[in-house]
Amino acid sequence: MTAVARRIGSSVVTLFAVSVFSFALLELAPGDFFTELRMDTRVSTQAVDALREQYGLTQSPAVRYWLWLQSFVAGDLGFSLAHRAPVSSVIWERAGNTLLLTVPAMLLTWTLALPLGVWIARRKNQWVDRVSSGVTSTLVALPDLLVAMLLLLLALRTGLFPTGGMYTPGAEDLGTGARIRDLISHAFLPLCALVATALPALVRHVRASVIEAAQAPAVLAARGHGISHSRITLRYVLPLAANPLVSLAGLSIATLLSASLLIEVVMSWPGLGPLVVEALLAKDVHLVLSASMLASALLVAGNLAADLTLYVVDPRIRA
Amino acid sequence: MNRFIGSALVVLLSALTVSAAVPAAITPGEEVLVEKATSGNHGGRLVVALRAEPRTLNPAIAADAPSREVIGRMIADLIHIDRATQATEGALATEWKRSSDGREYTLKLRKGIRFSDGRPFDADDVVFTFQVLLDERTGSPNRDLLIVGGQPVRVTKVDEYTVRLTMAQPYAAAERLFDSIAILPRHLLVEAYTKGAISNMWAVSTPAAAVAGLGPYRLKEYVAGQRLVLERNPYYWKTDSAKRRLPYLDELVFLFTGNEDAQVIRFQSGDSDVLSRASADNFGVLVRDQAAGRYQLKDLGPSLEYNFLFFNQNDLTGKNLPQVAVKQQWFSDLGFRRAVSRAIDREGIARLVYRGRAVPLWGNVSPGNRLWINTSLPRQPRNVSEARAILKASGFSWRPDGALIDRQGRPVTFTIVTSSTSAQRTEMATLIQADLKELGMGVQVVPLEFRALVDRVFQTFDYDASVLGLGGGDADPNGEMNVWMSSGSNHLWRLGQKAPATAWEDEIDRLMQKQLITLDYRERKRLYDRVQTIVAEQLPMIFLAAPHILVGARADLGNFQPSVLDHYTLWNVERMFLRPESRSVRR
Repeated sequence: MTAVARRIGSSVVTLFAVSVFSFALLELAPGDFFTELRMDTRVSTQAVDALREQYGLTQSPAVRYWLWLQSFVAGDLGFSLAHRAPVSSVIWERAGNTLLLTVPAMLLTWTLALPLGVWIARRKNQWVDRVSSGVTSTLVALPDLLVAMLLLLLALRTGLFPTGGMYTPGAEDLGTGARIRDLISHAFLPLCALVATALPALVRHVRASVIEAAQAPAVLAARGHGISHSRITLRYVLPLAANPLVSLAGLSIATLLSASLLIEVVMSWPGLGPLVVEALLAKDVHLVLSASMLASALLVAGNLAADLTLYVVDPRIRA
Repeated sequence: MNRFIGSALVVLLSALTVSAAVPAAITPGEEVLVEKATSGNHGGRLVVALRAEPRTLNPAIAADAPSREVIGRMIADLIHIDRATQATEGALATEWKRSSDGREYTLKLRKGIRFSDGRPFDADDVVFTFQVLLDERTGSPNRDLLIVGGQPVRVTKVDEYTVRLTMAQPYAAAERLFDSIAILPRHLLVEAYTKGAISNMWAVSTPAAAVAGLGPYRLKEYVAGQRLVLERNPYYWKTDSAKRRLPYLDELVFLFTGNEDAQVIRFQSGDSDVLSRASADNFGVLVRDQAAGRYQLKDLGPSLEYNFLFFNQNDLTGKNLPQVAVKQQWFSDLGFRRAVSRAIDREGIARLVYRGRAVPLWGNVSPGNRLWINTSLPRQPRNVSEARAILKASGFSWRPDGALIDRQGRPVTFTIVTSSTSAQRTEMATLIQADLKELGMGVQVVPLEFRALVDRVFQTFDYDASVLGLGGGDADPNGEMNVWMSSGSNHLWRLGQKAPATAWEDEIDRLMQKQLITLDYRERKRLYDRVQTIVAEQLPMIFLAAPHILVGARADLGNFQPSVLDHYTLWNVERMFLRPESRSVRR
């Protein structure tokens, strides 16, 4: 129990450090939210300065950080200058849309990666292994952006899939069933892009873990006793290979989230991606900070969950 | 998957008779504006893809383009600029009279009309609107426009349907001031204004019933990150020639796409019906695909936007920028600027950067601005040998390796900073780099994130030269006061002047001030022609090119009459309609 409390405590410290570091980085970048107005020929310098004063941008960085932190802890997550509203009012719905992509993508990726990785591991050094190695290496090397663009091109050229967004314009007039089908058709390509970017690395990890576990003395002994391949895999190899994979699972939500931000922008998916990109470009500091905190919290939570899982399933860690 | 989309579309098509607000009957005494040459059919939905999500629905504070694009369809102004003729016309004001000294305007307001929530409009709304806009606490980008002769415009109610606007001095083309200034509903906003919270009103997530305007559409629905839907304002004060209330279209749907490429893809795939402005590259792609006949594309010719190269001539006292200060000896030399101007291939820029869909510029006014361009400005094509002669006469010389050096023997090298988000301006800078290499100048192109660029140009002055663009607003020269007045906030090459630094800037100051209070168009034109001549001679900015306005719309959209003035495509959205034979067939 003490170990768990200590782990949660260190997670809070990590999140605090992330917020300070992110704030400092944003502070170091030149300009602020109202800098853009300087190019507007209708607006005088005095008017821009008055806006800076009105929205507290002339206060010291320490004061501004403190004000954000207070608002964050209170649940408003700060104040978005772009939306002139609390960050919480603009971020949660989009976060839901992002999770609508990333959670199924993660489940799908693991569902495919585990059997594929085991299957390839059992064919180590055979042609299947060599071909899969080539394919996964190529896919790992492909930038996420390129994968998304290629899929978008496919949609545009074939007309088989929507070219962006979450619903067809006017879908709000449809019945529930048709709306769900419309949603699935829009989510299909972004999901494919996410799975295509995450799956190859995961397959390679599963393969490597399974091959390593297959060399363990217990597995060799089991094999010596003439136990069947499938029984050995289920009873001995997978439990032995689980440790690194559980740790990897903890990271995969955060990995998919970062890939998702990019894919959302390219495919106009209304998640956190376009919001964060806009906020970064506009230097909407509170929105960027709170979005970073959300992503970091997911990463930390994923790691924490993985650690706790290992703590429960692996007696060596409890010892 | 295709079957899924197909079934979704079938249901969608059957639902295309949108349940929208039914136009209210015209009441006795309601002074509607009859659009005489307008006819069309009611019904249907128009989908427009926006590059970014609007930040607010509050007309008093909106500064970003997507917000203005949406708000522009929900509001009405007192006097409007007709985008087709570029002339003013009555809108909420049916007539107006200028006093003999030109300082006072009396406006008669349209009687019996209503806001989109059904509440009546009168002079109190106009007085309230100007009170809000002129209040510093509001932070309105329109406030400075309403300060004339150093004094805010004073707006008083004469009677329920008459207001008087008084200015400290005569103001040329004062009517144009009122274009796009939304009249606000006092009944909805006065409480927030009294509490000092007006600038936080009408976020995009505000419930539809709490937002009202006098424009053709009103808020129906906002879905975060996805779309904003406007529905017909049933009380809109314009009718067609058959006295049927406008607008024709039931709904206007704005999709949020995130960037220009996504916007074009959604248009190409038929998800959106109108493309408000495309780059030359994207337009070229669409032209190739146009054969299918699914959409109409229009090249409207040169926009009012002017792109230019300028050198840092700011006073660097206290800035600790010795490396820039040294180069300012060249930048402030007229011979140097003239040589650079003569060496730049503007035709090449128009051809290569804009694929021929731009015009070369020799002055600050684009040919798209028919009322104000000085057509007598000389158009000097690229001439490298003449440029070299000008440099030689200014004391520059060349090393044996061809590098240009100044009188002190220092090689002439400098950087051009541009915005990394504008591919066109970076390409222009790269072409200039190549052109100036032939003069022996060493030029580096440095694309910067937009805020970093603005910070350098306006705040730190840590740059040598830059390629930027301005314009695109109103055609009238008054919109350029901040650029050409030596004390102006956009007097880019030398900001923050307390007194004009040069005799020619002093002359421009006097000319701009004079045209501001001159009421006769021909005299104003003469004065502004002189400004253009001085600018072309002194070259504080070296003008490069004005891109064309490139737009598109679905082929069956009636009354689609895009304009070179903003908003290019939706300015007459109340008159647009879908031809009946195609209404039920979305691409």
